Amino acid sequence: MNTKAYFMIKKEAITGGDDHPETIRELEAMPEVESVEPVSGEYDLVVVADVDAPTRIALVAKEIQAKDWVKDLHVLKLEPAAPNPFLDEVSSIPGGESVHWCVQCGMCSASCPNVHKMDYSPRKIIALVRAGRRYDALTSNTMWVCASCYLCTVRCPKDVKITELMHTLECLSVRHGLRKGGTTPALYRAFVDSIKGNGRVHELGMMMKFFLKTNPLAALKIISVGLQLLSHGRMSIKPTRIKGAEQIKTIVERAHALGGTK
Amino acid sequence: MKYYTYFPGCSSSEGTAVAYGISTLSICSALGIELIELEDWNCCGSTPYGSTDELESVCIAARDLALAEKTGLDLVTPCSACYTTLNTANSRLRQYPDLKSKVDDCLAAAGLEYKGGVRVRHLFEVIYNDIGLEDIESKVVNPLSGLRMAPYYGCQLVRPDPGFDNPSNPQSLDRLIVSLGAELVPFPLKDRCCGGSLIIPALDLALDLIHKLLDSATSGGAQCIITVCPLCQTNLDAYQGLVNRKFKTKYNLPVLFFTQLIGLALGIEPKVLALDKNIVSAEKILAPFTKVTESAS
Repeated sequence: MNTKAYFMIKKEAITGGDDHPETIRELEAMPEVESVEPVSGEYDLVVVADVDAPTRIALVAKEIQAKDWVKDLHVLKLEPAAPNPFLDEVSSIPGGESVHWCVQCGMCSASCPNVHKMDYSPRKIIALVRAGRRYDALTSNTMWVCASCYLCTVRCPKDVKITELMHTLECLSVRHGLRKGGTTPALYRAFVDSIKGNGRVHELGMMMKFFLKTNPLAALKIISVGLQLLSHGRMSIKPTRIKGAEQIKTIVERAHALGGTK
Repeated sequence: MKYYTYFPGCSSSEGTAVAYGISTLSICSALGIELIELEDWNCCGSTPYGSTDELESVCIAARDLALAEKTGLDLVTPCSACYTTLNTANSRLRQYPDLKSKVDDCLAAAGLEYKGGVRVRHLFEVIYNDIGLEDIESKVVNPLSGLRMAPYYGCQLVRPDPGFDNPSNPQSLDRLIVSLGAELVPFPLKDRCCGGSLIIPALDLALDLIHKLLDSATSGGAQCIITVCPLCQTNLDAYQGLVNRKFKTKYNLPVLFFTQLIGLALGIEPKVLALDKNIVSAEKILAPFTKVTESAS
């Protein structure tokens, strides 16, 4: 039976802000390390390690302690471990269970029109999920570059629902506050807020909110498009609020209280 | 007359694809279709909601399905994204009982119930299967003879669920175009992605994809592109100028909704089909055909 160890780490003062992805990557590169989470307070990081024999915990602790940016290390607790919690988390979400069926053939990566812009190709991100590399997977831009064209899904010889898996990873990265991936998450947030407010998406309002939140200057690039859409009567100025907007609010609040799909 | 519950979707009801909604309503009575708009429908949630919160996104779509179930009719949408989103919600609710019970709980909080009985359909599929090409062909008064068209299916009409047409080499829109008297051009990228909503956060990425599509259609000799999706039309039509600027090209390729195309062939005035809302004007290529209708009327 494997053992799971939780380490609390205090880092040496490092200049240049407190977000140090390289330290997290360094820890995640250790085969025993399952996840690394930044925390605030007396300690800076919580590291969860999975070891096959309890005696190995001290060795892992020593190895972490030896890193020059580690000031202090404290073992928080030990418990019997599940084999791969990130994999379990992904596969517990509807559509996510298909991650188990992947044979790593790479058909998805070969089919993807946007693979050249991804941190990890679709095949690689599936491998990361199965290796339990939670932080690397959820902070990557891969799923946010997916345009949901479903070409990978229909071509997959093992029926892996790759596009749905991308949506699952997006949801998880939102839930754990790890979303990066350019400005796509901000657009999605503006889109969802528009629905939560009025029940329908108001394109003009959503886009203005998006550009204000991200980079107002970027709007200049498409201002000609916006003006043409306006002059052709293709942009409604005012949002439409449905009668059931309150109903939407009730539904969303209830869903929130139920705590997700798991 | 065939009756359906109608789900226009946000962009076709009053947004960037308003011409899709207008042309849909103007051809349906001529085809013997009665669309009854779903009362107080909400946005299906589309990919952005499905990429934010799993449970909430299914609940949002389920509200529409619950409202539609009361009508007892098939739910028809012209939007490929609405079609895929509502269909995915439907199949998830069937496949995952735990999810279903949570969604039931959320809907009940708002006084709603969904038993799972709604059939979600794309307008194109309804016209193709329920009306049929023979019937449409018999109604053509203005055959668009010799007009060369690239049939553009986009992604979410034929994917992810197979069944209606081949997911990577679809043929149905090709056949419709031929039945209206027009000419097909080879268009190998007919099922490829236009970038969808990534056009906003990842402009360059989407412009690359749109450029490839325009290139493929024009090198086949197309005079226009026919679409079945509001987002595809907006990306290919409204962003064509930006593609020209970025790639130093001179595309001037009108992008029409298949509903506008059917309308023209049935002899309906371009204005009634909201063709004046197309940014790349189709006036020039349609001139020989619209004159015919004017003199006929």
